[in-house]
Amino acid sequence: MIGALPWLLLWGTIAGLDLATVGQVMVGRPMVSGIVAGILAGDPAAGALVGITLELFALDLLPVGGARYPDYGPAAVAGAATAAGAPGLLGLGPAIAVALVVGYVGEVTVQMVRRMNSTDVQRRRAELDAGDPAGIRRVQWRGIARDTIRALAVTLAGLALAVAVRRWLPLSLRGAVLVATVAVGAAVAVAVTGALRLGGRGPARAWLVAGIVGGIVWVALQ
Amino acid sequence: MKRGMLHAWMRTLIVQASWNYDRMVGVGVAYAMEPLLRDLPGGPSNGRYRAALRRVAGFFNAHPYLTGMAAGALARAEHDGVPEAQADRLRHALIGPLGSVGDQLIWAAWLPLSAAVGLIVAVTWSVPAGAVTFLVLYNVVHLALRTWGLSVGWRAGMGVAGALGSRVLHAGLRVGAMAASFAIGLALPLVSSWLMRQFGAGERLSAGGVAALGLVLTRILVPRVSGVKLGLVLVLTALAVGALWR
Repeated sequence: MIGALPWLLLWGTIAGLDLATVGQVMVGRPMVSGIVAGILAGDPAAGALVGITLELFALDLLPVGGARYPDYGPAAVAGAATAAGAPGLLGLGPAIAVALVVGYVGEVTVQMVRRMNSTDVQRRRAELDAGDPAGIRRVQWRGIARDTIRALAVTLAGLALAVAVRRWLPLSLRGAVLVATVAVGAAVAVAVTGALRLGGRGPARAWLVAGIVGGIVWVALQ
Repeated sequence: MKRGMLHAWMRTLIVQASWNYDRMVGVGVAYAMEPLLRDLPGGPSNGRYRAALRRVAGFFNAHPYLTGMAAGALARAEHDGVPEAQADRLRHALIGPLGSVGDQLIWAAWLPLSAAVGLIVAVTWSVPAGAVTFLVLYNVVHLALRTWGLSVGWRAGMGVAGALGSRVLHAGLRVGAMAASFAIGLALPLVSSWLMRQFGAGERLSAGGVAALGLVLTRILVPRVSGVKLGLVLVLTALAVGALWR
């Protein structure tokens, strides 16, 4: 896993930039970034497990305008790095714990970058108010540079946390199963909360219920 | 195709790079629109070129995928010689609808729908196929919306509001949230069952209990708590207990 760290760092930075600043093509969604991180770390199954669990957490919020939202891209990378190589579900709990911490730190740093962008805009007010294209370009590209540094730093901190947890977290087999159980339960609770919010009180709520019934039947038939 | 259109389209991909609390996405829209203004009579040395950039670089907000529509329409208004005050009214008038339509269509419908379909494919067939399905499905609409917005904005200019009444858009708004809700509903039991497939009966029951507790917390006791915070409290508590459990 240690050999994969530079690639994981690069991938986490790309995933973090995709959150809002560059493209928003959703490679930063945990389902995608976790799976790719798992492949990079040499354990695709662990990456898939972490990515899909975090995708349930990500269903909670819609990344609307100025809303605060966690950065689950670098979070999934750090989570996959934590779980890589652990047998079965044993790495899932610590991985989700690391990922949630990184996701929350990502959320806080996004606010910091937005405030720094505000300061930059205020500082360059004269150029912007003169309609200077070079000034506009500078503000835009400095924003990209700022967010690149943010995504890189968040991923780096996440990977450092992952290495520390892998090395030093004293977790027995029973303890690991307990944390995995709670992580999955919490993910389901968050996803259901998000789905209920999305469904509102109108006809979408009825479609949500119909979907859940259909899903239960599908599981029963499997 | 108008010269500068491809440049403008590519610039819409980084429209949120300088997102800030003062002007929101205004500087980004001015940056995206700039290539469309270069061939104004008199070129970049024309006062109208700079005046247009100055106005748009002020406060502006819209869904990022529809900012191209504003950039196209406002650039066209400059080429058509629309009076400054009228172009400014258009800019202000676009803020609400472009935000609301984009949020409802993409964030509240297409993103959750694509994610749910990706999850279903991932847990019932193949995990990589699920991720690819999600990316392809999502981005077909995402990139088409960016392209359509920019081109329709440029074509319609001051009449761009009419494009927001498009039948396809309205059909998407009408059925989008319902389709997304159904797909998420379908995905939830499948994904839960997939995640718990290695659990014994006791762990399944416990995970269900934690989910029920989480729902009580988010729906009744602390409805403002975000998913990440709830997850942090529950998982870190379990981690502390788990570390002590020998």
